[in-house]
Amino acid sequence: MSAVLVVHGGAWAIPDEMGPASVDGVKAAARHGASVLKSGGSALDAVEAAVRSLEDNPIFNAGHGATLNVDGEVELDAIIVDGRTLASGAVSCVTNIANPVSLARAVMEKTSHIMLTGKGANQFAESIGINTVPTDKLVTEYEKKEWEKHKKYIAGVMQEFNTKWAHDTVGAVAVDCAGNVACATSTGGIRNKMVGRVGDSPVIGCGGYADNSSGAVSCTGHGESILKVTLARLVLSHVEQGKSVADASQLSLQYMSDRVQGAGGTIVVAPSGQWAATFTTERMAWAAAVDGELWFGINPEERLKEKLSQ
Amino acid sequence: MLPVVVVHGGAGHIPKERSDLSTSGVCSAVRSAYALLQGGGSSLDAVVEAVLLLENNPSFNAGCGSVLNMKGEVEMDALVMDGKTLSSGAVSAVRNVANPIQLARLVMDKTSHACLTAEGASQFARSMGVPEVPQESLITEYSRMRWKKNLAPDANPVECQMGKMGTVGAVAVDTDGNVACATSTGGMLNKMEGRVGDTPCIGSGGYADNMSGAVSTTGHGEAIMKVTLARHILFHMEQGQSAEAASDLGLAHMKSRVGGLGGVVTVDPQGNWAARFSSCQMAWAAAQKDTLHYGLYTGEHFTQIIEDHRA
Repeated sequence: MSAVLVVHGGAWAIPDEMGPASVDGVKAAARHGASVLKSGGSALDAVEAAVRSLEDNPIFNAGHGATLNVDGEVELDAIIVDGRTLASGAVSCVTNIANPVSLARAVMEKTSHIMLTGKGANQFAESIGINTVPTDKLVTEYEKKEWEKHKKYIAGVMQEFNTKWAHDTVGAVAVDCAGNVACATSTGGIRNKMVGRVGDSPVIGCGGYADNSSGAVSCTGHGESILKVTLARLVLSHVEQGKSVADASQLSLQYMSDRVQGAGGTIVVAPSGQWAATFTTERMAWAAAVDGELWFGINPEERLKEKLSQ
Repeated sequence: MLPVVVVHGGAGHIPKERSDLSTSGVCSAVRSAYALLQGGGSSLDAVVEAVLLLENNPSFNAGCGSVLNMKGEVEMDALVMDGKTLSSGAVSAVRNVANPIQLARLVMDKTSHACLTAEGASQFARSMGVPEVPQESLITEYSRMRWKKNLAPDANPVECQMGKMGTVGAVAVDTDGNVACATSTGGMLNKMEGRVGDTPCIGSGGYADNMSGAVSTTGHGEAIMKVTLARHILFHMEQGQSAEAASDLGLAHMKSRVGGLGGVVTVDPQGNWAARFSSCQMAWAAAQKDTLHYGLYTGEHFTQIIEDHRA
């Protein structure tokens, strides 16, 4: 069977001026992940590679380009799950790390734990020789300006801004030639978040989940809403009940909207290679590498296609 | 059938000399929570009350009595969830607070977030006027002895873990049919600094939804996370399984898929409840229709009439 990889660059009201760069970013990440699959890499390797590419791209809110918390600091969350064994690794509230997804993978592979947080996660990074980067290296001029601007608003107004604007988590899901699925999600969280705020991204079943018996999901959108409905796990429970990945995504996002008034997006693959990219926000930049073709879009109902090898 | 409250004091292997303390601890926590429910209190208030009492009881691995991490320090996790709104609050790797469950409730009630971690959680606690307690006040002689024992080069960490996985938790349904869950823990013995287990992770350490029920879990945290045990059990209940059958299915899945052992307390909105475990033991207690139920070993189920003290 053929391998499939899908990535997203976050579900939110992406402003027009950021549209083209966001689409370019997800396309590049999907190509990068697909090349890993093509050269025999596992689904796990591919989602890590794709998410690293998104973390390194300053247009996205993860790694370099992350949003700032209320103190003007960068605190990052990430998760990776291996659908074969259900093994997973996550970091929450980690600072000065360029690629949190790789640190999450190290937690999975080099510790008996699943999640490390705060200072403990940084100590672990140091102990295995992952280089730290100064905060300035992760902060873009754009984010500094936005943060300054938003700091002037009172808290009530900010909350509205948060639900509408800054939720551009990144993520990837993949199925490899052996039929193994995996997911990875990484984020800087929401702008002006409280120090120590942990969103949905690093929480297994919420920001992502992967199980060879049903599929893999990575979520984005309003984190607190995703947590309330354990969105990734919800999507896969519908798949387990016989729904297609597209219907399962639609049902789950609709449920999140009806039950807790939250908007978001998901990308899903099934071990069969079936895939979907779905969102209830204004936009979500996504791309999928399938059978030598690259599908992509950013607006509702948009499904553009080009050759994967360009 | 309503109200009902069920609590657990952790699944694992409880040394004989400590088992009476565990049983009396869960029974007294469930009595207090039940009295609160009978007085018209909400399920949310009841589960927080039960867990708070278990945190204050040094026999359990939560609050005072928490196990120590590799460095000999106490870092605690807690989660509370309201089945009516799906609102939840959690803290992870928090230090120097006596009652992490109360701090988790404050995260739910006073912030727009669902989880605060480590130093950020402490900052929030200070801003809310939650008293900072010295670490010494959370450490018992027993937990220090076990930490030291496990530092020995010939220690068997797995055996030691099974000896005390005493996470605590509670689920309840109030007279209005609202469900809630709460879970609190010191985590696993000799864990790495900053390790977060299943307890504060929504869907793993607990989940509550008025449409299906509420679950609080305990056991091998990493296994519980892999199968998002609490949410998994409620999926089964949504598909028509009883609280007991769903709990057993969830625990069996965890055992066969990832080789993990644990225990759960579960309720549905009608007041059906279960306390099930795949580990050797789990201290549990439940109160319903003025009857106290409790047990520790598989198959054990004692009952006792609860005198009404309200008159």
